[in-house]
Amino acid sequence: MTKYMVDKFLRWVELSDERVAAYVDDPAAYVEGWLGAAPGPEAATDDRSLTDAERAAFVGRDFAALYALGAHPYLLWHFTEAVHAHEFTPESGWRALVERYRAAVAPQGLVDYIP
Amino acid sequence: MAELVLAAVTPHNPLLWRSMRDPMPDDLAGVAAGFARIRQAFAEHELDAIVVIGTDHLRQFFYDNSPAFVVGKAESYHGTWENEVRTFGMEHVELAGHRELADAITGRAVLPETVDLSVSLEWRLDHSFVIPLQYVRPELDLPVVPIHTNASMPPVPSVRRFIALGEHVRRAISSWDSDARVALLTSGHMANDVGGPRTFAGSPDPAFDEAAAGWMRDGDLEGAVRVCSDFERLLDAGCMTYQYLNAITALAAMGGRPADVVDVAESRFASSPFFLWGSKR
Repeated sequence: MTKYMVDKFLRWVELSDERVAAYVDDPAAYVEGWLGAAPGPEAATDDRSLTDAERAAFVGRDFAALYALGAHPYLLWHFTEAVHAHEFTPESGWRALVERYRAAVAPQGLVDYIP
Repeated sequence: MAELVLAAVTPHNPLLWRSMRDPMPDDLAGVAAGFARIRQAFAEHELDAIVVIGTDHLRQFFYDNSPAFVVGKAESYHGTWENEVRTFGMEHVELAGHRELADAITGRAVLPETVDLSVSLEWRLDHSFVIPLQYVRPELDLPVVPIHTNASMPPVPSVRRFIALGEHVRRAISSWDSDARVALLTSGHMANDVGGPRTFAGSPDPAFDEAAAGWMRDGDLEGAVRVCSDFERLLDAGCMTYQYLNAITALAAMGGRPADVVDVAESRFASSPFFLWGSKR
């Protein structure tokens, strides 16, 4: 279940410009808000939970840790891109982020990402 | 009866949408020429409808509900997601559906015997459907039947199920009581890694690319099956490589005959496949 929740959060944020902006503005508050907004068991299913390690990785925008935790690679890359794009400069832009990302995940090899 | 007159395989790399523009970068000229060749074939075949096989990228379909194959039965489709506009600079599009052809593929009341299809009547198409159409049929004037194949969220269908899908699509078109001329447009990748250890570092597996082009050139379905039955082998070639199986679906739909055009364009990106089967007449 736990990889599923990581993927669910990645996807939820990355799909929406508004949610990307809110997460980037305050990752810790956004993660807590997302977890706290889960509807009750009577509502249409929309469960939300994260382990302490997953929560810390999202609060820290730590793509190396999220990869190690089994995030879906495609979702993780596009989430990473979305939540770092505001930091791009002419000297350090998209390509530099690609290099940082690859350097972080390559030593880990292929992590089992099947939830 | 209707006729499947054309099948094509193209890339759906959304990064092309910003980068493949005039003045054309030298390294993308081959990719642009590959699309131009397929676009010309679509223009010359006097088509009435397009079956578009792609793989939704965890947008419309996710792990809360992940079907193997989904056939669109909607009257129309919105194309492109908000995150694709942001990330790739794509544009929202509207596409007409083809309900009658969709029904011919799924069966109205009972699914076909050889492949279990899911259906969707409300579906926003992502770049794996929109990008190939925009390059191959930029007028976006022909009604489409989209088919999603799950090549991104394991467990995925086996390669023989992709073949069964292709054979079924061909059979369904040829037994559809219509004089329509139908094209099959499928998209995917050669070896490709997005988010894994070899992200955006050119082709992650040139040896796989070479073999994968050969299966199309030789009409070698069994050769494709031998390699592509091994999920771990495809994962080794990159975490998104399984989408290559959409090309095998096209090969199967054309009866396994060698493709008339097999062109693999090299660029800054992973290798770009362009495979084409034209009408025999």
